[in-house]
Amino acid sequence: MRTITIKLPEYRGVPVEAERISPDVLAGLSIREISEVEVWQGNRRLKLSDIFLISGDPDPDRPENTRIVVEGDLSKIKRLGEGMSTGVVEIIGNAGMHAGNSMRGGVLQIKGNADDWLGREMRGGRIVVEGDAGNYAGAGYRGERCGMRGGEIIIKGNAGAFLGEHLCGGTIEVVGDAGDFPGCANQGGVIRIHGHAHLPGAEMVKGSITAGSARVLPSFAYEGTVELGGLTYKKYVGDLVENGKGELYVASDQIGK
Amino acid sequence: MIIKGGIVYDPANGIFGEEMDICIENGRIVEDAGGEVIDASGLLVMPGGVDAHSHIAGPKMNTGRIMRPDDSRIGTEPRTRVCRPSTGYTVPNCYAIGYRYARLGYTTAFEAATPIIEARHTHEELEEIPIIDKGALTLFGSNWTVMECVRDNDLGKLAAYVAWGLRAARGYGIKIVNPGGGEAWGFGSNVKGVHDPVPHFDVTPAQIIRALAEVNERLRLPHSIHLHFNNLGRPGNYTTAIETLELLKDIKPSRMRQVVHVAHMQFSAYGGTGWKDFESKASAIADYFNQTNHATMDLGQIIFGPATTMTADAPLEYANARIGHQKWSNHDIELEESSGVVPWVYMRKMPVNAVQWAIGLELALLTNDPWKVVMTTDHPNGGPFVNYPEIIALLMSREKREEEMKTLHEVVRSRSTLPSIERELDWSEIVIMTRAAPARILGLEDKGHLGTGADADVSIYNIKPDEIDPSKDHAKVKVGMSRAKYTIKGGAVVVRDGEIVAAPQGRTYWVDAAVPESDMDRMLLDLKEKFERYYSIRMSNYMVQDAYISNPFVVRAGVQPLREVI
Repeated sequence: MRTITIKLPEYRGVPVEAERISPDVLAGLSIREISEVEVWQGNRRLKLSDIFLISGDPDPDRPENTRIVVEGDLSKIKRLGEGMSTGVVEIIGNAGMHAGNSMRGGVLQIKGNADDWLGREMRGGRIVVEGDAGNYAGAGYRGERCGMRGGEIIIKGNAGAFLGEHLCGGTIEVVGDAGDFPGCANQGGVIRIHGHAHLPGAEMVKGSITAGSARVLPSFAYEGTVELGGLTYKKYVGDLVENGKGELYVASDQIGK
Repeated sequence: MIIKGGIVYDPANGIFGEEMDICIENGRIVEDAGGEVIDASGLLVMPGGVDAHSHIAGPKMNTGRIMRPDDSRIGTEPRTRVCRPSTGYTVPNCYAIGYRYARLGYTTAFEAATPIIEARHTHEELEEIPIIDKGALTLFGSNWTVMECVRDNDLGKLAAYVAWGLRAARGYGIKIVNPGGGEAWGFGSNVKGVHDPVPHFDVTPAQIIRALAEVNERLRLPHSIHLHFNNLGRPGNYTTAIETLELLKDIKPSRMRQVVHVAHMQFSAYGGTGWKDFESKASAIADYFNQTNHATMDLGQIIFGPATTMTADAPLEYANARIGHQKWSNHDIELEESSGVVPWVYMRKMPVNAVQWAIGLELALLTNDPWKVVMTTDHPNGGPFVNYPEIIALLMSREKREEEMKTLHEVVRSRSTLPSIERELDWSEIVIMTRAAPARILGLEDKGHLGTGADADVSIYNIKPDEIDPSKDHAKVKVGMSRAKYTIKGGAVVVRDGEIVAAPQGRTYWVDAAVPESDMDRMLLDLKEKFERYYSIRMSNYMVQDAYISNPFVVRAGVQPLREVI
């Protein structure tokens, strides 16, 4: 497998739109050509090599045989792995906003935290975040009726607010807690939150949300307990405001109701 | 400037595809001129396009933009040396509207509905639409003063109010939307037909429409009344359409034009008793238009994919929001109207949408006289205007219609007559429906043709009419019509090879109609009281000032003898 390493030395500038850092774009290019790839920094057009140090196997290969390693504090580098369909992108450090958005396949690993809009509107592939994710992970962008439609997002830390908003498919797993309104307007996706979820499933009509504990909205109907994987869950159906048939499973007692 | 060697279509002047030169000087078509030579050898040349019904400016457009951040993601184009950045597809930003019309070869577009109180905003946006000439029709159909004058049968006073309203709004003509329904909606109801009284006003839609039509002719306005029927968008509404048109049969036009222009006819040509047995009644409507001579229509063709419905027909928008489970904006416009905005998606496999698509095409193909038909999508209600080339290709090619029908729900074959229609429009008919007819219908004497003295608005396409057969080469027609080779607006080249090369400011048309002072005084006396009692703003702040229109074109009209108003 070809490895391309893109290192970011200390960076203090305005955010960079780095949607071209993706196996689909870079796999067929030599290291020299990769250095010439253009990215926008605010309203200025720069070459990748103006910001990054680029090294790795020099010869082009197919995207599925390509692994891109991006290192450094990338919290101001946006849209890493946008729309990627295959291959691997490994981010060693924090990723900026919109990482892995519109992804169709391949693997995006983030060994740090991810900012807002992680994997928004993704359709396939796999995102693994070792740290926390910001708000709107797996969500739809402003005004969209569909967020994530397929694929998988695994967040090993906590997730921010509006996790999987307008989820239309796919799976999101959060090992820690989720912020406000996870699975809001869920239309058929699956969310598993191991920790606490605050007001999950508002306006959801389909799909399911599982939480370790949760504050449940009053517009969900309690349907008794069920056994799932050896654990007992309280099952709710809602959101009744939308005449929804979404399923909400909560492991321990929810706080209040 | 001389445009050399083009194949010119100018049906208004009896020119149907002749090779000839077009000369331009000082923004007008002239007999002879020198200067720049544009080589159009063998290419399709026609007058600049005129859109007689499009929603391009005003608060409902902006509401659509605010409601649909998702739409602004589609159609983004970066700034160029000439152009500002563009965004949006169904609700584009102001700049994009001008650039996209120009690229299609259109040089004029009229905003179809503006309440007087919101007209200032409409003009602020029209000012920001580059290149094209424009104007805005003014809403009168659910207005308190109008309904009171109708109830009192005081047409003199009504004429004074209309003249004042057009001046206040810097408007171009009388638009009527679901007359009475906008007022009824304030009480959560609607009017069900033309003889259903409006709550609290003791008038019927039929009376409102007739009175405004008579006043329109009394004022000798360049355009006729522009009517959005009651019951629009409901199954079985074609009877309402015909019933309404029958009301206006005996009214004498004051100019050489129709008595009523029907907006987006497609939405009012529905049969059936509900959505389950929904069917096309386009043939009944077309028959009516073929037998009468007092009405014209624009199509309101739907385009599959996203649309944003926006109309002063607020009860309709409530129904849309419920049916489509969509976001809904509802607006009550003081004493004048109500309105709504709802995003929409037209789907090929949805039976109703498939039939709606067929209805628009049927109307254009079954109406014998192309001068009675204007090609529109009721932008953005039926879909964005950038899809006009698609409609042109459909109208010119039965083969393309057959191909499209294969991708649609099968009811399109059983519930419309489209599969049996063989007619394929020729270039002359297309030019009439997109240029000559809308200009004549709007009363724009210097537009829609290339006779001496006409505005030098010309579009030239990369299509060789002598070499291609639109019936078979419909893909080439669509591509060719999508990006004009040249668009010339007022004698200046604004598009070259499909790209904007200049973005001058167009004109804004409005109508100043004179009425007898005695009528105006009577009317103002009443109106002042209304402002004191009901309006949220003062009368002195209500009128759109001249400062809002940097490049006006004022059309004079009025009751004879002509006297200044106010």
